[in-house]
Amino acid sequence: MHIPDGFLSNRVAVAFDAISGVGILLSARRVKLEASARAVPMMGVLAAFVFAAQMLNFPVLGGTSGHLVGGALLAIILGPVPAVLTMATVIIAQALFLQDGGLIALGANIFNIGGVTAFSGYAVFRLLWRNDGGGRRLTVAAFAAGWISMVLSAAGCAVELAVSGAIPLRLGLPAMVGYHALIGIAEGGLTASVLAFLARVRPDLIETPRRVKLGAGEWAGAFIFVAIPLLILALAGSSSLPDPLQKLIEPGSAPSAKAGDAQALFSTLRLWEYSWEFAALVAVIFLVFLAGRIVHGGKAHR
Amino acid sequence: MKHSFIDRYAALDSPLHLLDARTKLLGFTVLIGAVLLVPPGKPFAFFAYFFLTAALMGISQVPLTFVVARTLVILPFVLLAGLALPWRTGDGWTLFSTLLLRSTLSLILLILLTNTTRFAELLRGLRKLGCPRILAMNLGFLYRYLFVLTEEVMRMRQARDCRRVGSARPRAEMKLLGSMLGTLLLRSFERAERMYQAMLSRGSSGDFPILAPRRFSWRDPAFLAGLGLFIWMAEFLT
Repeated sequence: MHIPDGFLSNRVAVAFDAISGVGILLSARRVKLEASARAVPMMGVLAAFVFAAQMLNFPVLGGTSGHLVGGALLAIILGPVPAVLTMATVIIAQALFLQDGGLIALGANIFNIGGVTAFSGYAVFRLLWRNDGGGRRLTVAAFAAGWISMVLSAAGCAVELAVSGAIPLRLGLPAMVGYHALIGIAEGGLTASVLAFLARVRPDLIETPRRVKLGAGEWAGAFIFVAIPLLILALAGSSSLPDPLQKLIEPGSAPSAKAGDAQALFSTLRLWEYSWEFAALVAVIFLVFLAGRIVHGGKAHR
Repeated sequence: MKHSFIDRYAALDSPLHLLDARTKLLGFTVLIGAVLLVPPGKPFAFFAYFFLTAALMGISQVPLTFVVARTLVILPFVLLAGLALPWRTGDGWTLFSTLLLRSTLSLILLILLTNTTRFAELLRGLRKLGCPRILAMNLGFLYRYLFVLTEEVMRMRQARDCRRVGSARPRAEMKLLGSMLGTLLLRSFERAERMYQAMLSRGSSGDFPILAPRRFSWRDPAFLAGLGLFIWMAEFLT
């Protein structure tokens, strides 16, 4: 889900750089004000934990593998604001070390993979969870938090790409959300089973979220990660500022892809108009799964 | 266990390595921005930037095979993301190739940036350019403990693979992986706790000090000026 450089239009990329930049500055400030000095090495090591945990792959379907993203898990354990900061650290490091996600697209990636997952995961968990000592309630809440965080994050990614004019929403949204609804099952399952393990071994860690009160910082974060992007999307969609990508797209492009019309982007998803492309996409995904199946099968028999 | 693949060539001694981290951060960000701004109808500008990137790679002494290998790891994802483009009516292929060129060039530039700058210096550069201290410290901790935790993960994986054959049913698999991740998480917690005690008892101010600080030299403005001139030429003369 890491967006590489070149796919977002420059306006969208810079807008998200600004949003995430402000979000990080505010989170850093809030963490400095509120948390003890103890929290700093904790966040750093947990960032390394997420980075290392993403090495533990598991097979999803056929041979493609998924791994823990961790935004929701961190938000449940640390609270959403430190979680955003920690995820931002991970995403910056992934861009620098592994070139996973671009430099200019960093803001959008931090937004999707850090901000959206942490805040949505935390919100869902808080809504559903009652402290039942690691029972069914915890499992359900954690699973829902992990799953919804992935789906929302994918939707954000698809909308950004669509507003940039790279992938039309009618194609990108179902593909991204559909795929991540699958991946999200694993994310939810892992979030739930890690929390169940913690509830068994260190129940004190699970009880902490109860004591976290939603303060100004959380509301500000929720505002930044939910309201402002909607505003930006509306502005980016409706303004007529020239943009290299957009200029190219305007003449003779598919009717839905006109980035100049926010209304068209959010109109009903008329998939049949894209049946040809969609069939091709499905075919390719199927082929990838098939290829993976063969590779994976070969490994299992070894 | 061997895993120093991340910034293997950051400690070389080329002219590019000798530049101040701030210069490189600014320069490479501007350069990537310029590459991303090249409009689709200008293949010569891409040639120019490609030439510049190759020249920078040559100067940096980072081996070509390394850069190509790292690029090839990421490229499939880029291709997958751009998959829908060629089916556009009209100039889908132009758009596709443009995005591919932009992504590949900025990818190589990013590889060059991290492989010509030691991470500690990169962090100090970020810090001096206004990055919040907590974020810089997080990155510093991540870099230091990444290898420790990675080894921990590899040991756990090895232990798991030693004790079972094949794979379990998805549910059991999930539970096993959850326990492994949970254990890793607890160990990380405890490690952070110990680190905090250690920092406290040594009077840490929170910043990581670096020996032998580098300062701006004549190379830094020269590099930036040359870069600016090149971008100007690529924008207006091609």
